[in-house]
Amino acid sequence: MVRLEYIKKQYTRTRRVHGNWYLASYQYKFNVKRINQCLEHLRKGELVGLKCRSCNTVSFPPRLICPKCLKMPDEWVHLRDTATVATFSGTYAQEAGDTEPRPYPVVAIRQDGSDTTWLANLPEGYDFFKVYVGMPLKVKWAEDKKGDFSDIEYYEPIEDPSIEMNKKEEAEK
Amino acid sequence: MEKVGIVGYYQVKPETDIQMSRPEMIFYAARGALDYAGLKRDDLTTVISATNDYYDGKTISNCFTVEAGGAYLKDESKVEMDGAHAVNYGLMRCLSGHHKLALVWGASQPSTFYYSCIRVLENDPTFDRPINLLNDYTAAALGMRAYMNKFGVSVEDIAKVGVKNHKNAAKNPLAWNEAQLPDITVEDILNSEMLSNPVTKLMHALPCDGATALVLAPEGLAKKIIDDPVWITGVGLCQETYYLGDRDLSISVSMEKAAQKAYKLAGINDPRKDIDVVELFEHSAYEELVLAEALGLCEKGKGSSLSSEINGEIPINPSGGNIGAFTPCATGITRIIEAVKQIQGEAKGYQVKDANRAIAHGQIGFCAQNNIVFILEGGKR
Amino acid sequence: MGVQPAIVSAGFSEHASKRSDVNMAELMNEAIEDALNKCNCTIDDIDCVINGNMPAFEGANIPELWMTDHIGAKNKPFMRVTTGGTTGGSVAIAAYYAVASGLYDTVLATSFEQQSCGSTTVGLSSVALGEVSIYLQLGYDFEKLRRNMGAGAAIGIGAYQAINYMRRSHCTEEDLARVVVQNRHNAAKNWWTHLKMPNITIEQILETPYISYPLRFGMVTPASDGSCAMIYTTEENAKKFTDTPVYVNGVASVSNENAIVAPEASGCGQIDPCEQLSATISAKLAYEQAGISFPEKEIDYVEVYSPFPNQEFMWLERLGLFEENTAPMQYREGVTALDGDLPVNCSGGVNSTNAIGASAMERVAEAALQIMGKAGNQSPKEIHTAIGHGWGGTINLITLSVLADQPRRKYKGGI
Repeated sequence: MVRLEYIKKQYTRTRRVHGNWYLASYQYKFNVKRINQCLEHLRKGELVGLKCRSCNTVSFPPRLICPKCLKMPDEWVHLRDTATVATFSGTYAQEAGDTEPRPYPVVAIRQDGSDTTWLANLPEGYDFFKVYVGMPLKVKWAEDKKGDFSDIEYYEPIEDPSIEMNKKEEAEK
Repeated sequence: MEKVGIVGYYQVKPETDIQMSRPEMIFYAARGALDYAGLKRDDLTTVISATNDYYDGKTISNCFTVEAGGAYLKDESKVEMDGAHAVNYGLMRCLSGHHKLALVWGASQPSTFYYSCIRVLENDPTFDRPINLLNDYTAAALGMRAYMNKFGVSVEDIAKVGVKNHKNAAKNPLAWNEAQLPDITVEDILNSEMLSNPVTKLMHALPCDGATALVLAPEGLAKKIIDDPVWITGVGLCQETYYLGDRDLSISVSMEKAAQKAYKLAGINDPRKDIDVVELFEHSAYEELVLAEALGLCEKGKGSSLSSEINGEIPINPSGGNIGAFTPCATGITRIIEAVKQIQGEAKGYQVKDANRAIAHGQIGFCAQNNIVFILEGGKR
Repeated sequence: MGVQPAIVSAGFSEHASKRSDVNMAELMNEAIEDALNKCNCTIDDIDCVINGNMPAFEGANIPELWMTDHIGAKNKPFMRVTTGGTTGGSVAIAAYYAVASGLYDTVLATSFEQQSCGSTTVGLSSVALGEVSIYLQLGYDFEKLRRNMGAGAAIGIGAYQAINYMRRSHCTEEDLARVVVQNRHNAAKNWWTHLKMPNITIEQILETPYISYPLRFGMVTPASDGSCAMIYTTEENAKKFTDTPVYVNGVASVSNENAIVAPEASGCGQIDPCEQLSATISAKLAYEQAGISFPEKEIDYVEVYSPFPNQEFMWLERLGLFEENTAPMQYREGVTALDGDLPVNCSGGVNSTNAIGASAMERVAEAALQIMGKAGNQSPKEIHTAIGHGWGGTINLITLSVLADQPRRKYKGGI
């Protein structure tokens, strides 16, 4: 481990008083009524998003409020099962079986046909250094569907025609 | 001070365990207030919220309510105190001349956490918290005992305040269902569960879920929005020291100073004559008496003999006050809204006759450590 | 309508990773004393106190209630304003409005953070705790979610921005390290900062391991204890209190939608985290108030809130100081150095010192001190107009104050 040196000043220690802040005792409320329709569709292997009638913004996963119009969107629209990577990062973690910390990709995904992003998963063990912004993906459905977001097991990378086109262009140059 | 108009408001009905998520509740309040004024979200220039990270169980709780509170791409800020303090900030923004329309909202859901446990976190962490004796019940009990001892007021006198507020709350459809007790008696209050001697459950404000919002506009614009806006003509704010031992709990120094400032701005010389109705934020029944005395509505120690019924000389809390519905963070805004309703003549069932000038009040801290007073005026006189 | 506010003084406490010699109230008091010592103003001249900190880190709710005596708020109007990472900036803006409204004459704005007495990790993880529990309810796998959230915390948001920014501008990791080196060298010359590294090099930083790609251990902000205090007053009073008042000519605090993580209310299509619409709008509003038409020409000094080096590029572009995607080049040419054309973060910036609640206010305070000529690491350039910027929430809230040595002549914005 490389250490970076910096100028430090020593302060005297005062007496410490122990105290607690209990985090676990909250019971957050979430009105699942508004998302039920989406969950029902997931059970059938379909994707739906919520569309705001006044500004035509589609959200997936469905979101309660349209911030632009301050209205509750109420129109459900069907979405395709393809998506693109909007942005990504990697956490360096040492999971069971790893000899040293390695990057795990964390991707923000935009479902085609919707205007919002959400955090979803790539296939287990997918190489972090192969991920790029704009990468096309396709939904891989779970075997037995339970009617929640675990029905989307992961997003599978699919062939990207733009890479071939770029290569061709470079070759022509 | 230039006048600032209240042009819209909305209150979500307080409930013990509201069947809505927090953003949903806030959305209804914000949308309702804008709809009352007949405005679009785009007209807003600033949004001020009153929430508390500890009450919401989230750090930076305001960033999760940007969309619900209508603050998307608007000048936004959060006051982590009572809703009335947030109104003060909204007022400052309107008075500065930079903003033409301010939405102020406050909300919390005490059903999601143990309210009393979180109040303990307001204690001095190095001294009061380890000893673990001071909380909102014991603080109220200490204050009440000090008040009773100094002025020779009986427990029954204080219980009467609870009776009045519970009865008033029964007439207010937007009060908390469990506080609406039309047939309550002094005995019921004294025989209810003892929280901390001498404070009993029915003379203490118990928290419930709720959200409120109101819309402010500067003088020139308020009249364009609605015909009879209610004006904020004075505001006073003051905080006194924390340690209960340093304070005389039978009086409220901070409330006196806050009231004087507000009266000066509004040009009020004799509050007893000039004020028609008062909406106070009292954590416990005795606080209503202490605060009313500090407002100069009666002599010190004589609060219990003041005629404060709806048809009395100076009606205090015709809506049921804080005992009628205590929604932490929102209740200060509720007090202002109730005062506005009285002035506009829209308080159906608990209307005070010919109300034109009102006091609304918000506070925070144990034994009303920090008080804020608003003077509201209609255009009738 | 509206009063012209001015800053007459700004003070700091010493910052360190563990200020074990003081508690929160004493820490706050250090900065207030420093601020009062720097001008002819006593605590009796203060009409109103506004304070803020990020509440979760110390485990104390509304600490100002028991800190009343230490911050000089006894029997005075007091207000608490908090907005997470931007708390300091929001407090400064609240103080501006308190004076501008005409309700109060002299306002003491203070902010502090003592992260060593609580747990920063607990505080930060609880930002998304409610959302996490809801995600779990909706059938997310806990293990995967834990990893995702690990990258979704403050550093992860920095990483998302860095990835998108690097894709846009083709800047390299070396460019990122260069920003860090400039900041840490500046910090070494400033008395109150935390990470003073007078001899650090780009190579040393690039040797440290990744925390979250592309950000390395050596590039990220530390967690500090510290506090900051400022005194705002009216134009008339300002001349009584000091010879070198600084006028606040424009403020804005615009919030964008919430970051990617929340399922409930948020989101309307924030695809690119380095787009930062709220910064662009804040800049527009504040510059309009201050009468600034050409920010790149008129602004002489910039303090931006950049815990992560890539953000420094991003903010400078979004605030209209550099052309899109050219900021890394300006750093390479030394434009932003202490003796450059547009000095940036001569205080060392958030990259060297981060007492979260106070950080955004320190930006405004340092900008003011640079105009006064009293800064710890004073730029040799003559500075007339400066900006202090803050960033917080979940990448969504921007605070911006525009300061100048002259009051604004005519104000056209608003109503």
